[in-house]
Amino acid sequence: MLLVEADGKALFRAAGIAVPAGVEAGRGAAPVLPGDGPWMVKAQVPAGGRGKAGGVARGADAASVRAAVAHQLGLRIKGHDVECCLVEQVARGAERYLALVLDPAEYAVRVLFSAEGGVDIEQAAAVASRLCPPEVDAITAAVDELVAGEPEGWRAALVATGQRLARLMLDHELMLAEINPLFVSVAGCVAGDAKVVIDLNAIDRQPAIAALLRARPATYADAVRKLDEGFDYVELDPDGEVGLVTTGAGLSMMLVDEMTARGMKPLNFLDIRTGQLRGSPARLIRVLEWIAERKRVKVVLVNIFAGITDLGEFAGLLADAIAATPALRVPVVARLVGRGAEQARRVLAERMPDIVVEEELEAALARVARACA
Amino acid sequence: MIATLSRSTPVLVQGISGRMGRTHAAGMRAYGTNIVAGTSARGDLGDVDGVPVFHDCAAAVAATGATASIAMVPPGDVRAAVLEAVAAGIRLVVTIAEGVPVHDALAVGRAVRAAGATWVGPSTPGLAVPGEMKLGFLPDAALRPGPVAIMSKSGTLSYEIGWRLAQSGLGQSLWVGVGGDPVKGVRFADLLAPFLADARTAAIVLVGEVGGDEEEQFAAALAQVGAAKPVFAVIAGSEAKEGVAMGHAGALTFGATGTVRSKRAALEAAGVRVFATMAALVADCGDQRRRW
Repeated sequence: MLLVEADGKALFRAAGIAVPAGVEAGRGAAPVLPGDGPWMVKAQVPAGGRGKAGGVARGADAASVRAAVAHQLGLRIKGHDVECCLVEQVARGAERYLALVLDPAEYAVRVLFSAEGGVDIEQAAAVASRLCPPEVDAITAAVDELVAGEPEGWRAALVATGQRLARLMLDHELMLAEINPLFVSVAGCVAGDAKVVIDLNAIDRQPAIAALLRARPATYADAVRKLDEGFDYVELDPDGEVGLVTTGAGLSMMLVDEMTARGMKPLNFLDIRTGQLRGSPARLIRVLEWIAERKRVKVVLVNIFAGITDLGEFAGLLADAIAATPALRVPVVARLVGRGAEQARRVLAERMPDIVVEEELEAALARVARACA
Repeated sequence: MIATLSRSTPVLVQGISGRMGRTHAAGMRAYGTNIVAGTSARGDLGDVDGVPVFHDCAAAVAATGATASIAMVPPGDVRAAVLEAVAAGIRLVVTIAEGVPVHDALAVGRAVRAAGATWVGPSTPGLAVPGEMKLGFLPDAALRPGPVAIMSKSGTLSYEIGWRLAQSGLGQSLWVGVGGDPVKGVRFADLLAPFLADARTAAIVLVGEVGGDEEEQFAAALAQVGAAKPVFAVIAGSEAKEGVAMGHAGALTFGATGTVRSKRAALEAAGVRVFATMAALVADCGDQRRRW
């Protein structure tokens, strides 16, 4: 998952990569601006394309910085509310592009460099790259080759930055570490931006990254929830009308896509991992509580294709969870297919006779559409 | 090696004495898989349902001649398990654990490639030759012998589609879950040649999802060889939230990269029939069937 720029830069700083003097500005008191202007004001959202969405501005004086912060804090960019802005001194120097990215097909690290930094890199004419084994020395040697045409005055600084970025990527098990623009001058390199993609699967052995996530529970709500709960729940639309209780990432995503295409408004994506319930309704209760908090929800759709899970047992847990969540006052449609489906029907008919159980997903979706209408 | 799997392929289950290992070994045997050995890192060496259990892969392979393995171990142990299996001479390793760190997968991928072996994983429901055997836990309810070869990132989405196809009378020749991780063993493009060469296979169904560029690479490989068999696809995640991994670590989009739109365009340009819904894909497979 993508870190916000300020957190990427915190990792850069710790790795010895210089970043501009900066301060974070939230909804509280106006920030104390670092040094002299001009300054950049940048919305801190874990998504790309914020410039086009109005999330990047330049301010020549304190008043224009305050105005830019106030404007950006009201934005919602790619589904993320802007909670915080980064205000930095404008850095100076020639602009370059440097990135390390995992190449999954080659089981390697791809080193990318361009003398055209500061632009959308997909539009840049010349991006040179090298494939390396995931080793600091190999990556550093590749950077050395890629910057061979750079002026003598700052070439060594570029190589040193590449080496630090390599160490950062391997030590912290990053999937992407990108600096665009990287400001270079005879005084050295300064990272103008930071795009860092972390591996949540490695979080147990990356305490520094875990601390960054926990320090911004609102910005990283989905990831923090995954760390705390052990499953994936992503809120897609706080005004959504259909709460989803689903398992399996792919089927859940497809369900969200198909519902949206038909004009339904799913609240959430969920991969509850039925195989991990271990006889407890706790996880289901958590999910139903989150769904119940959202006032626009009109119906809950449960969709479980059980390969291994025993649906009879699952139905019992679902009934327990619904009984334990009085705040949930909307109808529930359950589509259950696979192992133990007959038993599940019996359990629900006895304990939760209001729940409609379907075998076919299409039939369940038709019921959900009627409930929303 | 995937296309040559059969009910006689000797299979080793790593971690057979654990809860998962026992459960899935029983499920696989019931389906027809020839399980000849298990290993237990904890040293539980008693037989499991009549299957001899060994300390390590080398001993298991030496005693039984196992050529394929499935590792029923936690995510943090996957790296060591695959390296051990490959070092013991296993030619095909399947791993099923969710949550394997990406840099571990990178190291496994390098080692497996260097050994010339095949790895399906890190996190997949496994693979099957329906009617013969399965490695992993693809649900029996969705498995049915037939002419369609399935490749899928997602387990559950492939269950749904495989089940619907089977309900409509179209079973499967081969079914491989490649998993939803960004760094993995077998990728979609790797399966093109064996699926095209497989005599049982008349058509291919690709179940993709947002993130990465596997679908694009498959499209490039297909464009190169030409679509000798029809290919049908769905790609989940057009509504995925940018910058957030949607359940699968690999299901992550940034800007225009890895989006459903880019995948769909690449696949369609290579002659793949891409559908927005599961129902449309299943219906079209039925309609096209006469021409296979």
